[in-house]
Amino acid sequence: MTTGADHAAKVGPAGTTHGERQAMPLSPHLQVWKFTVTMAASITQRATGIANVSGTVLLAAWAFSVARGPESFGPFAKFLTSPLGMIILFGYVWSLCFHMLGGLRYLYTDTGRGLVPATASRVAWFVYIASFVLAGLIALGATAARGA
Amino acid sequence: MSHKGTSTFIMQRASAVILIPIAIWFLWSLMAHAGEDLAGAEAWLKKPLNFGLFGTFVTIGALHGRIGVSEVIDDYIHGGMRGLFSALNWVVAIAVIAVTWWSLLSL
Repeated sequence: MTTGADHAAKVGPAGTTHGERQAMPLSPHLQVWKFTVTMAASITQRATGIANVSGTVLLAAWAFSVARGPESFGPFAKFLTSPLGMIILFGYVWSLCFHMLGGLRYLYTDTGRGLVPATASRVAWFVYIASFVLAGLIALGATAARGA
Repeated sequence: MSHKGTSTFIMQRASAVILIPIAIWFLWSLMAHAGEDLAGAEAWLKKPLNFGLFGTFVTIGALHGRIGVSEVIDDYIHGGMRGLFSALNWVVAIAVIAVTWWSLLSL
């Protein structure tokens, strides 16, 4: 028979038991949830983070094409200035804007502030709106620079 | 993965803080120079400030991204596949950094 004291004695310091590791805590349940803007912003932060990783792959490929010369740069630049390329570029710009603004939101909430639901929701809405405004301004600026 | 939670947490935040001003510089540069030809791109990359900031943006960005993707892997990939995905995650980050610096240094 195992007593509570026996069990307690078997539990190690960091929540581990002898001979077996405790399972890592997992993400919230996938079917039980309610829509909140902070939840959406959290998911978008992850999605844009993954998109930004693809963006760094794109930047590495771009630098590589510059180093390789006209045979590599020509087709690459042609793709980037095609409609699909422009959509990818705008998506990357927006993704960077969102992730940067969302990241500032997390750096702020990491200090224990701005966690009241009403405030957190307002800040999350602001991140969505500001990211589109910023990306739009960059796209407009780029169009103006190309036209000039 | 184990016993590295605190240092990973700090690295993710520290790299985020470094990336903010460099990302602003990158977005500004993209706005000003998007659509330039090869000669323009090469001249831009050869300027020491652009050379250094571009290399730093990709390097810190790839390392910051590796941490973020590893969190997603830990949340959703279980069992033996987790090790494979974690290894691939490192390979992508290192390849991006290596290709970028190779390219910059061979200009």
